[in-house]
Amino acid sequence: MEPVVQFDNVNKSYGGYVAVENLNLSIEAGKFVTLLGPSGCGKSTSLRMLGGFERPTSGRILLNGKDVTRVPPNKRNVNIVFQDYALFPHMTVAKNIAFGLELKGFDNQKIHRRVSELLELVQLEEYARRLPSELSGGQRQRVALMRALAPDPDVLLLDEPLSALDAKLRQQMQIELKSIQEKTGKTFMFVTHDQEEALTMSDTIVVMNKGRIEQMGDPDTLYGRPGSVFVANFIGETNLLRSTVLGMDGDMTTLSWNGITITASQGGLAPKLGEHLYVVLRPEAIHCSVAEPASGNRIKGKIRQRVFKGNHTSLMVDVGDGTLLNTLVHPSEIAHLSGENIWVGWKPETATVIPDRHAHN
Amino acid sequence: MVSSNTTAQDRARSDASVPRYSTRIATVINSALYRHTLGAAVESRIGRVILLAGVPLIWLIMLHVGPIYQMLKISLLSHYPVQPGMESHFTLDNYAIFFRESLYFTPLIKSFIFATAATAVTLIVVYPVAYYVAKVVKPQGRSRALLLLLVPFWAGELIRTFSVIMLLANRGAVNVLLREVGLIDRPIPMLYTSFSLGFGLVYLICLYMLLPLYSAIEKIPSPLLDAAADLGAGPFTRFRRIILPLSRDGIVSGCCLVFLTCIGVFATPMLLGGPTTVLFPETISGFFHGASDKWPVGAAFALIMLVTALAAAAIFMRLVGGRKKRAI
Amino acid sequence: MRAMFSDAPRVTLAAFYWAFILYLLLPLTLMMAMSFKDANFVAFPIGDWTFDWYGEVMQDKQFLEACLYSIMIAAATTLAATILGVWISMLIVAEGIRGQVIIFALACLPAVVPGMISAISLRIFISTIDMPTGTAAIILGHTVHAVPFVVVMALTRLRSMPGNLVDAARDLGADSVVAFFRVTLPYLGPALFGGMIFCVLLSIDDFVRTFFLGGYRLTLPMLIFAKVQGGMSPEINAMATLVLVVTAAVGLYAEHLTRRARTR
Repeated sequence: MEPVVQFDNVNKSYGGYVAVENLNLSIEAGKFVTLLGPSGCGKSTSLRMLGGFERPTSGRILLNGKDVTRVPPNKRNVNIVFQDYALFPHMTVAKNIAFGLELKGFDNQKIHRRVSELLELVQLEEYARRLPSELSGGQRQRVALMRALAPDPDVLLLDEPLSALDAKLRQQMQIELKSIQEKTGKTFMFVTHDQEEALTMSDTIVVMNKGRIEQMGDPDTLYGRPGSVFVANFIGETNLLRSTVLGMDGDMTTLSWNGITITASQGGLAPKLGEHLYVVLRPEAIHCSVAEPASGNRIKGKIRQRVFKGNHTSLMVDVGDGTLLNTLVHPSEIAHLSGENIWVGWKPETATVIPDRHAHN
Repeated sequence: MVSSNTTAQDRARSDASVPRYSTRIATVINSALYRHTLGAAVESRIGRVILLAGVPLIWLIMLHVGPIYQMLKISLLSHYPVQPGMESHFTLDNYAIFFRESLYFTPLIKSFIFATAATAVTLIVVYPVAYYVAKVVKPQGRSRALLLLLVPFWAGELIRTFSVIMLLANRGAVNVLLREVGLIDRPIPMLYTSFSLGFGLVYLICLYMLLPLYSAIEKIPSPLLDAAADLGAGPFTRFRRIILPLSRDGIVSGCCLVFLTCIGVFATPMLLGGPTTVLFPETISGFFHGASDKWPVGAAFALIMLVTALAAAAIFMRLVGGRKKRAI
Repeated sequence: MRAMFSDAPRVTLAAFYWAFILYLLLPLTLMMAMSFKDANFVAFPIGDWTFDWYGEVMQDKQFLEACLYSIMIAAATTLAATILGVWISMLIVAEGIRGQVIIFALACLPAVVPGMISAISLRIFISTIDMPTGTAAIILGHTVHAVPFVVVMALTRLRSMPGNLVDAARDLGADSVVAFFRVTLPYLGPALFGGMIFCVLLSIDDFVRTFFLGGYRLTLPMLIFAKVQGGMSPEINAMATLVLVVTAAVGLYAEHLTRRARTR
């Protein structure tokens, strides 16, 4: 199937500053795709280029196979939900949603039907005649979403739309956004710097850094097998163990880390003997115990810090000469770990090796 | 009959529940006329720039700059309007006349003296009022206190001037009151003097001083004053060390506004002033409305006045407001 | 905290404020009172009170004509100044256009040129383009005078407008023209209305420009000027009182509107 959106070698620079570099990206219809990255990574610029508000310095943007690189925003069938919603303050909720429909030349009845349908979708029928200033943050968010969906765009663009909401409402809206996307079957392109948002909602996550795509994949892959140090650090908490390859055995690699021999999954990489690599070890993969584990990787350590986090406790364990491992212990187990000296262990297949970019550069 | 009635009612009911959307707008933007004119223009960047900048730039250059430029041009001509059979050539004579005759020189000096004095008096009188409204009156009452000050200013220049005449005339309120009390036998001639003119000018322009002062003083954070008082600063010290420096912006813009307005006031001096208080605008006016039109001389004089007035305002800004700008 | 200040300066300031209010209101009040005097000359005290002068004024054809003429000029001025002022301020806030500081300075120029000089320069200007004195010239002059005020008011409002609104309109299918009329202009709405009423008052009040640019038809200020120069009569008081009451009412209404717009 032909992708809905294609970025074809897109570059964007302002003066000497490169905002987006060699962006190649295809988005399939009906998917929830998230551009994730720190501020200044080029994700918003990419979104605005697709919306038509910025013109690429070079390259092409295709929408349903058609080149729209030089088409102004009002002539593109994509709509944006803006970060601060940008609702028209002088228009009622219904008129806001109807704005795009009026310009399409629909008759009054048709506009009314569509507006009612959309308001029903987010249970805001009662608020049709209110002004945006009379709505709560979450309601405004929904109206903005419906206004952008109303003209039936090929792609819906969402520019950090949840960042203005408080934490609780944000979680609720994440679920609602995802369910609206599934109900409408629309292609959503979502931009955020919040990895949790990305993991919760996306079918595909595109991690961006310094104007380039760092890695692209479904949430599981990105979390379980990050392709680079940047991705591993950006998504979730992680321990990065800088190690040297000692040998290979099928899918597994034997490495030397801090003078200890450990094994980890190769994760599709073909490590060479003597190469420096990072081993990604998620805190929840580490098991802490008083007794020495029977199998797998294991090291003796000292608890340096305990941070109670409600549903778990985070332990910082010193595994020799000040190297700290971040581990996660469930409440049921923490009681056994009252002393300072413990063992930390993990199964080899839960750790993955990733290349050490810096070593190559 | 009955059935058609019901449908009409039904339609009315459904119309009431269906809001009216602006469906006309699509008709307009999709019409051939729109698409080939405005619609086509905003498609291109050049079209948008012309649409946005064309009319404003033409207006600004033609009518904001144009008149001053034409005035400058004519002030350098020997004759204008040019009569048939006469020739007009470039000359600086029109400016020289001003310096040659004290008849012309004196009114300009008087204009400056009156404007400066009126500005100073207005500043001294209005400052405490602005301070009172901005800092002493509680926030809820502030807009009402301000409004009370604004109301008289909705009366125009002439009406206010006229009301001053009512007050100061020989049979005006002040003289009548003084005679009733028995302080005087004969009315004190107050009208058509420097006093009445000054009084009228101040009455006319105090609003222009009030608003800039008020907004500058209002911006001074009150905790700052409390902090100063806490550190032992008395009312006078607080005023001199904190309020006055922090309201300097307001003082500068208020004074400039009042000064420039005073310089250009035309009707008030003619109604309130006497033979000894002929100001420069009246002098200039003579060149345009007199029996013998001397437009080039009038233009030259107007320019002299404009340049000196703006220069005075600029020097004042430099002296009083300058230090702050350098700090930024 | 407030208790730290002694009360004496505050009381003095309050007294000064009220004295100042008295100073502002006294002449106008006396003028209004005089319009009820039952005599042919203006003098204190008022013996018998009467409404006769108002009847006289309402039948004064010259006065009524001047009123109509002034209102007509004010309406045309306001329309022109509003369109131009908004247009200029749109140019000043536009992205990707250079020299906005200069454009702003040019837009404000007529506000710093003293009235008398502005009037004379306009008189010279219309003669260089062969425009006769009269209604059109007055409207032109008043518009030049009013534009800076509209620009400043529109700019204040435009600068407070979220930049995304126009983007949102464009995103939903509006071109720049439609976005302006459907989003920007309604957003300016209330502030602009206050500005328009200010233009009306500015035009109705103007004497010096009208004096130099006008023809034989008298505007309201011209009529009052002529009458005052011609000598005192309670009729002028009645006339001035009527004008004052109407303009003050309009002014208060504008004040009310702009305040409501600001708090929104």
